[in-house]
Amino acid sequence: MTAPTTPAGDTDDAGPTTTDDDMGTGATVTETTDTTTADTTTAAPAPAVAADPSSTEKPLLERAARSGLRWVLAMGAAFVIFGAFLMAKGSNPLEVYQTMWESVAGDTNSFGEMLVQATPFLLAALAVAVPARAGLFNIGGEGQLVLGAIGAVFVAELLGNSLSPIMQLTLMAVGGAVGGALWAAVPALLKRFTFTSEAITSLLMNYLAVIVLAWLVNGPWKDPKSFGYPASRSLELDERFPIIWGSRVHAGIFIALIMAVVVWAILKYTPWGFRLRVVGGNAEAARRAGFAVGTISIVAMLFGGALAGLAGMIEVTGVEGQLRPSMMVSYGFIGFLASWLVRHDPLKIIGSAILLGAIAVGGNGLKLSAGLSGASVNILMAVMLLAILGWSQKQKATR
Amino acid sequence: MIIDAVLTGAVRGGTSILFASVGETVTERSGVINLGIEGSMLCGALAAYAAAIATGSPWAGVVAGCFAGGLLAAVHAGMVLGRHSNQIATGLVVTFLGIGLTGLFGQSYVGQGVVGFSQMPIPGLSSLPFLGPIFFDHDPLTYFSYFVAPVAWYFLYRSRAGLKVRTAGERAEVLHTFGTAPARVRFSAILVGGALAGIGGSQLSLAYARNWSENMTVGRGFVAVALVIFAAWNPIKAIAGAYLFSGCIALQLQLQAQGSSISPFLLDALPYIVVIAVLAALGRSRVNAAPAELDKVFETQS
Repeated sequence: MTAPTTPAGDTDDAGPTTTDDDMGTGATVTETTDTTTADTTTAAPAPAVAADPSSTEKPLLERAARSGLRWVLAMGAAFVIFGAFLMAKGSNPLEVYQTMWESVAGDTNSFGEMLVQATPFLLAALAVAVPARAGLFNIGGEGQLVLGAIGAVFVAELLGNSLSPIMQLTLMAVGGAVGGALWAAVPALLKRFTFTSEAITSLLMNYLAVIVLAWLVNGPWKDPKSFGYPASRSLELDERFPIIWGSRVHAGIFIALIMAVVVWAILKYTPWGFRLRVVGGNAEAARRAGFAVGTISIVAMLFGGALAGLAGMIEVTGVEGQLRPSMMVSYGFIGFLASWLVRHDPLKIIGSAILLGAIAVGGNGLKLSAGLSGASVNILMAVMLLAILGWSQKQKATR
Repeated sequence: MIIDAVLTGAVRGGTSILFASVGETVTERSGVINLGIEGSMLCGALAAYAAAIATGSPWAGVVAGCFAGGLLAAVHAGMVLGRHSNQIATGLVVTFLGIGLTGLFGQSYVGQGVVGFSQMPIPGLSSLPFLGPIFFDHDPLTYFSYFVAPVAWYFLYRSRAGLKVRTAGERAEVLHTFGTAPARVRFSAILVGGALAGIGGSQLSLAYARNWSENMTVGRGFVAVALVIFAAWNPIKAIAGAYLFSGCIALQLQLQAQGSSISPFLLDALPYIVVIAVLAALGRSRVNAAPAELDKVFETQS
């Protein structure tokens, strides 16, 4: 196995020599991809294992070292490239990085802020990871988060103040999950019955969700006490997650962490998780083995949507306390990045979500003290993922 | 007359999507999908705006926008062709990169005035009844867009280079057998797609909005990708798609101006609902229309 020594965030070396390899062999690429996700050796079809001995024989330690090195190089490259752009803009990259560092690690409060920010990213990433196991692209996290927040507030409106706080929050969480799942159901069903690409439809559903949110906070749910500012009423204390640490860290973070472990366990140990992997590895083989591929795919999308909806519920009950028109912008996309950074591994997603949470908090710091656009840190996140994507795919293709 | 106004608005507002859609058609015909054209459009819009302010010439802006869109697409091409990265994920990340870049560099341009394109009615044609104002009373880029789809069609179906592009999309091995590297063809096709999206972005900032604001494309690039499916990978049919989408937007603006009682939010949602509904309705009939190599993209995950 030849590993390239540099991550290629900005490559344009379209080497015509290597590309033909994967063109005729789409199926084998899929299978080798499957075996590299560590624990799938038992599930993977035998020929794929035989054709690809290198991945399973590598000592665990060496693989860990390799992936650690890959991460360090990817991050380094991302910071260098982002620094170059900052210089082109006329800012001093070192000062900018210092500003970012101070807003992330300045005191315990900023550390907490990082966790608060990472929470929705974590769930939004899981929402990408589950369908990805079945070979589906859920790019609708953005909209599913919004619908989750709407669903939670809808349940709160419905219940009034009749229940204990725990029941209230539980039912709001269910409302959020259902809202997210409903939004994911559209691309899932269209995929199943009209063969429309779920990547495209879930992407377009995001823009619809933002419009629905704008309608609600400007119309039926507009708070009369908001002085004309479009927002829903503030949730009562009973309808909000308790603050457990500092001024902002709320109990929702535990839910996100628990869900990461739950999703990991489901994917690894349940028959459904196994079927999901088989469908993702080779849908035709799964169909011939008698799996209900269509149903499995739909359920995977709905599960993903529910996770994203939960993220929206946690955000509105833990952080925002009300619905606003521009809440949670790009959270879904960042979740997509977080999932792809670690190849959809639910446990590793915890790490990538915290990393992206830190960068996002640093980005807020940039907006406040350096006067740069908060979207600037998107560059950093994007280059990081490009480096990771470019690195690992090349290895697979050349093996 | 409301119909005139809606159709005029459809043509003017559809121009940017038409450029992007035709560009994406060329890209996808070569067997590669590029969701990064949303980012290419954004970068094109900002680069055109900045260059037009710097030079005082909107045409210099268009050149800059075209270049910027192509440059961002080159990132996608390098990743997808050189590093075999997943096309959907890479395209989305490239768009994310474009949002970041335009956020960083565009901030100082928000709210600045620009020497944009002004309306240039074509003498004679613009005074035609009904059709005149709809098609011949626009900015120069809109006139330019009338030729883009037919030229792209001629290129794809009647030229040798276009045959290579389509072969790269249908059976890449065949191209390889005849001594052409599919990756090289695809690289060019991706660049053309990005450059056209960049021109589309220029029209958005220099002629349609005459303004720059963060993330101003609001999904037009993604819509363009959806319209390629609608158009069955045919650049001529992409015209209908682009004008259908922007026609819905124009209808909404007109109805709001007329003080219609229909909820403005429902009207806002209309263009997206229409696109999704049309895709769903056409779904089955489009399965076989897709370039064969493109299908493989959707089969490989992670």
